[in-house]
Amino acid sequence: MPNALTLDVRQPGSSTAVLDVQGDITADSEKPLMEAYAEAGSAKAIVLNFSGLEYMNSGGIGLLVTLLVRANRAKQKLLAFGLTEHYRQIFELTRIDEAIEIFGSEDEALQAASK
Amino acid sequence: MEREPEVTAPPAAVEPVAFELSPTDPLMHYLQQAGGPVEIDKLKLDSPGLEQMRKADVALVVPLVSQGELIGVLSLGPRLSEQQYSADDRKLLENLASTAAPALRVAQLVREEEANIQARERYQQELRIAHLIQQNFLPREQPDIAGWTLSAFYRSAREVGGDFYDFIELDNGRIGVVIGDVTDKGVPAALMMASTRSVLRSVAARFDSPGTVLEHANELLCPDMPPKMFVTCLYAILEPHSGKLVYANAGHNVPYRRRIDCVDELKARGMPLGLLPGSKYEEKDVMISPGEIVLFSSDGIAEAHSTDGEMFGCPRIIDVVTHHASSADLRNEVLDSLHAFTGAEWDQEDDITMVVLDRLPYDASDFAASGEERLATFEIASETGNERAAMQRVVEVVEGLGIDPTRLDKLKTAVAEATMNAIEHGNHNDPDLPVTIEVTKRPRELRVAITDHGGGAQIPDETAPDIDAKLRGEQTPRGWGLFLIKNMVDDMIVTSDEVHHTVTLVFSLGGES
Repeated sequence: MPNALTLDVRQPGSSTAVLDVQGDITADSEKPLMEAYAEAGSAKAIVLNFSGLEYMNSGGIGLLVTLLVRANRAKQKLLAFGLTEHYRQIFELTRIDEAIEIFGSEDEALQAASK
Repeated sequence: MEREPEVTAPPAAVEPVAFELSPTDPLMHYLQQAGGPVEIDKLKLDSPGLEQMRKADVALVVPLVSQGELIGVLSLGPRLSEQQYSADDRKLLENLASTAAPALRVAQLVREEEANIQARERYQQELRIAHLIQQNFLPREQPDIAGWTLSAFYRSAREVGGDFYDFIELDNGRIGVVIGDVTDKGVPAALMMASTRSVLRSVAARFDSPGTVLEHANELLCPDMPPKMFVTCLYAILEPHSGKLVYANAGHNVPYRRRIDCVDELKARGMPLGLLPGSKYEEKDVMISPGEIVLFSSDGIAEAHSTDGEMFGCPRIIDVVTHHASSADLRNEVLDSLHAFTGAEWDQEDDITMVVLDRLPYDASDFAASGEERLATFEIASETGNERAAMQRVVEVVEGLGIDPTRLDKLKTAVAEATMNAIEHGNHNDPDLPVTIEVTKRPRELRVAITDHGGGAQIPDETAPDIDAKLRGEQTPRGWGLFLIKNMVDDMIVTSDEVHHTVTLVFSLGGES
């Protein structure tokens, strides 16, 4: 059963925003994802927390690529953590991991974001 | 027509004179009516035959008439005594003619009959040769394949046609299936059939694609094909394990597939072999599921006529295939229907050939033979998001097979992606069109077949997604579906027919089981 995506946006530092993913990322997730991105504003680094990700499909991957394109244009860095082994493999297969750096924990991600 | 000398004074030598009398020559008609000897001098006819006779110095002509038909003449030169022929002479000649005519007629009939017998013997001999060639080049037995019954039927017409069929064993247990028909009859057709069969066998060993096989066979046959002769031929490759049938057709009769609820025509475009160099052959594929049956036939069935002159026709064949009972032999059902239509007195007009591929239905006894087991078949409505339900169902079905969680995640993603494609691209989100999902297990692999109603259309080649190109905006951000599927499973088999499109995910279960 589809679980609509919700994202909480946190700002642990002045230049970093954390987006807590909860639910599914599919082609239907464009609105919540882009709204959360807008909420993150001009943060230099955006950290995606995938710990609450239930399911992501190719449509969702397409949305992440769209997000990446926008972030690249705005010279923002995209980072991620909390991915299960399966989605981590998918990030590697699609080579999205070359554009979104992946970390094992929030601390590691935040540390990298502040550099 | 000989020049008859006078009996009393035979000359040393008389040259026989031959006349050409055309059936339309007025002299012919005149002699037939004359009723006795005719003096040439007294005739006034515009007749080339008469001219010839005058030149040859013929004086008297005695018609030989048998049963009202002019069958010859006695032509006599002037009497050697230089007297006129007397009334007695004429009487004698008339008597002679009336006795000679029937005897000559009998001799003519005997000679004609001898010629007929010779012609008939030659014809019979040719038929025997044609039969012999035909029999020598048709397979003596059918391949024996687990889970399938392959059968064939061939019966030549009295005048042998050019029908043929063949089973070619290919690598990996695949079978090449051939059915064809050489236009023309008798020895020429039989020889061309033998040559086509050899060409197909050699080309089939070199190429895996039926379209390419027909293309090459056509190139090889074109230069040697006699005028007004060509070969219709269907070539298919059967993968018994999966049920996949790839086929191409060079103008031969369309095969029929019996499914659970309908009969499909397995159409593919292509010119007959030997007509046009450079011909291309459309290639199609279809998945033959357990319980389904495919009938290949020659035009000797569809084009058979009843005593009223009505043709049997394809709709009647489809009707037989539709009502085929799985316990019966489809070949016999077709023949019974045909014979009921043509009547008992039917003189078979053309060769009759059938090849039947029967994929046996699943039942308990087959599990052991094929090692295959159907775990579930279900349908979902074509609505976005339903792929999650499909994924969940498959997870429940395969529970207990001991698939480790990492591998299970891959299967889930592959099932979800393939189902999404079926919903969106195959069924265009039409909730009335279901996506059918069939899960089967074999000793070492799991198969999930996902079928939608997107058959008939060509599937465009999807460009491989490239993240760099996407980030540069040169590719759409989307288009990851097929890429993901291919990377999640061990093999992906795509098949389609006029109506359906099926993606079969092959997932290795590993280890012994």
